[in-house]
Amino acid sequence: MSTNLCSDLLLLMLVPKERIASITHLATGPAAVLLPGAADGVPTNRATAEEVVAQVPDLILASPWSATALRRLAAQVNAPVVEIDAANSFADIRRITREVGQAVGEPARAEALVAQMDRTLAELAATAPERPIEVVAWNGGDAVPGQGTLTHAIIEAAGARNLSARLPGAAAESFGLEELLAARPQAILRGADRFDAPSLRDSSGEHAVVQAGFAGRQIIYPATLHACGLPQSAEAARQLRTALERLPPGDVRW
Amino acid sequence: MSARLWPLIAAALLVLGVLLSLGTGAVWLDPALLAGSVVSPKPSLPWLILWELRLPRTLLALLVGATLGLSGAALQGLLRNPLAEPGLLGVSAGAALGAVVAIYFGLAASFALAAPLLGITGALAAAALTLTVGRGGTLTMILAGAAVSGLMAAGLSLALNLAPSPWAAYEITTWLLGSLTDRGWDQLLLALPFLLAGWVCLATTARALDALTLGEAQAESLGIDISRTRLLALAGTALSVGAATAVSGAIGFIGLLAPHLVRPFVGHQPSRVLLPSAIFGAILLLYADVATRLIPTTQELKLGVLTSLAGTPFFFWLVTRLRRTAP
Repeated sequence: MSTNLCSDLLLLMLVPKERIASITHLATGPAAVLLPGAADGVPTNRATAEEVVAQVPDLILASPWSATALRRLAAQVNAPVVEIDAANSFADIRRITREVGQAVGEPARAEALVAQMDRTLAELAATAPERPIEVVAWNGGDAVPGQGTLTHAIIEAAGARNLSARLPGAAAESFGLEELLAARPQAILRGADRFDAPSLRDSSGEHAVVQAGFAGRQIIYPATLHACGLPQSAEAARQLRTALERLPPGDVRW
Repeated sequence: MSARLWPLIAAALLVLGVLLSLGTGAVWLDPALLAGSVVSPKPSLPWLILWELRLPRTLLALLVGATLGLSGAALQGLLRNPLAEPGLLGVSAGAALGAVVAIYFGLAASFALAAPLLGITGALAAAALTLTVGRGGTLTMILAGAAVSGLMAAGLSLALNLAPSPWAAYEITTWLLGSLTDRGWDQLLLALPFLLAGWVCLATTARALDALTLGEAQAESLGIDISRTRLLALAGTALSVGAATAVSGAIGFIGLLAPHLVRPFVGHQPSRVLLPSAIFGAILLLYADVATRLIPTTQELKLGVLTSLAGTPFFFWLVTRLRRTAP
């Protein structure tokens, strides 16, 4: 039983679905796109303590910040809880994938996934462009992901340079339109997923100055692969590489 | 002295505020570069920031502030209640609900003007409901306003509760805090016709409001059509506040504060309070917006939060003063 979107997806990749008691309801959308067919027929949960008692799983995958009531009940039904923390680098992804692989008794499968990810990363590193393109992942809000985030790792792996890494720490916390224009990135990355429910983030880039100024310079990235450290996050880097190669040459107009 | 002095004070504050608002921001605008870009065909960074970001923002602060000040003054006159403001009649909550519905159902994502349009619709619906239910007297109308506010707040909570994406829930909450950051010309141009129409409605109530100070029966005997006045005031508030809220989010206290600020200068006659109140509402919001940019916080300080924080002590003062003067 998994109570967190990221461990849901890892679990679906590691074990046959007959062995899965349930995954969270959040995972159905992302799983349908990232792992077509894998989640069909797998029961879903809402990560509540009651479901733990009802399903009595052999193992619970949870995030470190999951509800304490869930842990207490898990202890009472003798289901061990394995904490999966968030991945902020490809090293973290290797560690977490192996951890979950160990926990569910599929270490070989986990190794294979890690090896596949490393092959993709090595291939990307070997073909890295000489002059890295400067980009920033900007979603119309205040904060942009800087050093020490998975997005940063993916941008680097794609052979680009993360603009926010050269900002002082606090600046990455408040990065509005004015800062975006002043920083003159060659492309802006925008998180979106086909399965994401609508939210204002999608339209905030609609400010006329962004539309005109960054016409052809906006790259949509799969947000789940940036939020959850999965072996597929290397694929997100490969997609980004492809998108960067299609950018118009040169700098922004101003 | 005051009656002749206030236009001068207002003009000076306005000019200073506009300059501050255009000059304040995350990025310093080099005046030399800015002057150069007037003649150059290629857009420069300072020009882009000034023209596309700071100018619309400054104008919106003025328009929204004036709307809140004007409608506050009109409603205080209409309801003869010093605590009246657009929020009291459920109009702000209705506008907020309309805009939130646009965010919630993804309409705002598919076309940018959905939030303002639905905000105006929500304000009109709330105003119509208040007007229908609260027909029959000023006190009934205030009560109806409270009920409609409650209904709209319940709708907002429901939207938050059922928000399909965690981002949408987060956005609804932050949007409700009110802000003018990164607004553009399209939002301004969309809101403007509704703002102007609302202002005209509110301005036409001026004479009736003066008569209303004598009481409803006396006003009627002077030939004032009270239900028409109520309709005009409410429609004017709905149009202008609805459009303003849809662009800026919920911003409180300006409508309450502005009329009280100007009364010592221009007296208590409602028709003479309207224009100064609109101007001081604009000034208040403009300075509040500049302050959100000057106060150093890691996360952006939201405009609505600042006006509420700064406005609440005034509210307390008003209540204690009312208690002292009340028999």
